[in-house]
Amino acid sequence: MSDNFVSLQKLSLAYGQTLVVPHLDLDIRKGELIALLGPSGCGKTTTMRAIAGLMAPQSGHILIDAQDVTRIPANKRGIGLVFQSYALFPHLSAFENVAFGLRLKKLTNSDITKRVDRWLETVGLAHLAKRKPDDMSGGQQQRLALARSLVLEPKVLLLDEPLSNLDARLRLDMRLELQRVQLETGITMVFVTHDQAEALALANRIVLMKDGKIEQLGAPDELYNAPQTRFAADFLGFQNIFEVEDQTIVGKGNALPLSFQTKARYLAWRPGAVTLEKGKYEGKIKSVSFAGEQREFVIEAPIGQIKATTPAANLPRQIGEIIRFDLPSEGVCELRE
Amino acid sequence: MNIKFASRLIISLTLTFLIGPFLIIILAGLSAGDFMTFPPDGMSLKWYIKVFTVESFRESFWLSMLLAVFGTICALILGIPAAYAISRYDLPYSETIKTIVAAPIIVPGIIVGLALLRYLVVPLNFTVTLALFMAHTALVLPYAVRVVSSSLNNLRGDMEEAAVLLGCGRVGAFMRIVLPNIRSGVLAAFILGFVTSFNQVPVSLFLSGPGVRTLPIDMLGYMEITYDPSVAALSALLAFLSVAIVFVAEKFLGFSRYV
Repeated sequence: MSDNFVSLQKLSLAYGQTLVVPHLDLDIRKGELIALLGPSGCGKTTTMRAIAGLMAPQSGHILIDAQDVTRIPANKRGIGLVFQSYALFPHLSAFENVAFGLRLKKLTNSDITKRVDRWLETVGLAHLAKRKPDDMSGGQQQRLALARSLVLEPKVLLLDEPLSNLDARLRLDMRLELQRVQLETGITMVFVTHDQAEALALANRIVLMKDGKIEQLGAPDELYNAPQTRFAADFLGFQNIFEVEDQTIVGKGNALPLSFQTKARYLAWRPGAVTLEKGKYEGKIKSVSFAGEQREFVIEAPIGQIKATTPAANLPRQIGEIIRFDLPSEGVCELRE
Repeated sequence: MNIKFASRLIISLTLTFLIGPFLIIILAGLSAGDFMTFPPDGMSLKWYIKVFTVESFRESFWLSMLLAVFGTICALILGIPAAYAISRYDLPYSETIKTIVAAPIIVPGIIVGLALLRYLVVPLNFTVTLALFMAHTALVLPYAVRVVSSSLNNLRGDMEEAAVLLGCGRVGAFMRIVLPNIRSGVLAAFILGFVTSFNQVPVSLFLSGPGVRTLPIDMLGYMEITYDPSVAALSALLAFLSVAIVFVAEKFLGFSRYV
């Protein structure tokens, strides 16, 4: 039990009459970096707001560090939140933004200066202390927002889509930054994202949510390699997902006999798991594109489109040609609804 | 070529009608004669000096000044929370509330003035000064709500949530985060309200009593009896005052962004 640092128990969350999260149980371990992943409207942001205390649950409990905080207001919970828009205070300098929470705690000026300077240093903004947020770049603003939350040494840090407003290079920087901060402070972090790549790259564990419920929970490689439901497979980038009936794969009113036994309702293959040029099935090449290290095929088969990849050196085949392929038992994922 | 000529003509005429009266008033006030005439009858500053010696002008100026300052402050005290509620919360009937708040500028001033006189001053024995104060507050309120709303709408709500998560209470977040960021909007509303109140005629016309007259009403009364250039001189001085206020506001606040 001591392992569970943040505990959501039978949590139900609603906006007015709209029930967003009907019944959620989730345990988050101390020092873990956990991602709430899901499409928009799945309740991930609502759940995060409930942890922060920005919305009151209809029923259920939120425990942080073995204390029931369900009725504790947001400003007394000791939780940090980095907003998607950063929500920096435009009328205050970078220094004063970070000092904001400390000033409310009535610390001495020298103490405040010491702590703010240390955090500005940590996020690499010491030279911009006097600057206003509007005169800073997106990456700098985000690091400032991070410092503003972390200077208060929160028990839990929540991050709303932490990488979504950054370009590709800054994303990598920020990812390293977050992992470094987490390693140095051992703080428990919960972040919300709709981007599976972001969740896979950053989190220790991923909570995949759908319609306010947990669809699957596990380590990134578990989710990536072994999604358990059709939704999970789809969300994690499986492109070939087919229904199974009586040992045949069905689609578009056609059926193809399977070459192996399964009890699953659905089967899914990543493009790389589809074998080409041999096998029992046939299809027409609808498109070929060269993507550097590999060649990507879209094949029009009786049961629908099949997406497959091969190493680029192989198979210089043309659009319109007929190609043989197989959906083998190696690399298949068995799914339920 | 003809279009160019026509557009220049229109612009010139517009400018003439906008600025012309202003120039005429300034010059008429500089007249050396005893009657308001244009072109002025000789040049002198005596009417500009006389303005400051007329007792009733001095009294009504201060009344107008106090009404404009305190009426506007009062309207802002009522209007800022109203604007905040309208822009931040999903209120039922918020459109209706906006319309009601705007009513004092939609309903003709004559009717507002008559209504206040008939239903506040006469039956309830309100003093004229109190009724004037209430009327001016009500007239400025729509501007206060509107201008402050537009700057609140430009301010993202998550900033307050951020402040709360950093340990602020809701009121603290409003005072420390919201107010400093809508400061220019509030000042713009103040100046707009001040000018509106100071120049107000129709409502004040009904709410005048012995010794209680706002400056514009006093000027009307003065002109009915004495047709000397001092009213022109006073008008010119007031126009300069307004221009100065707006100029200073523009210079320091970027006033025009809010109106």
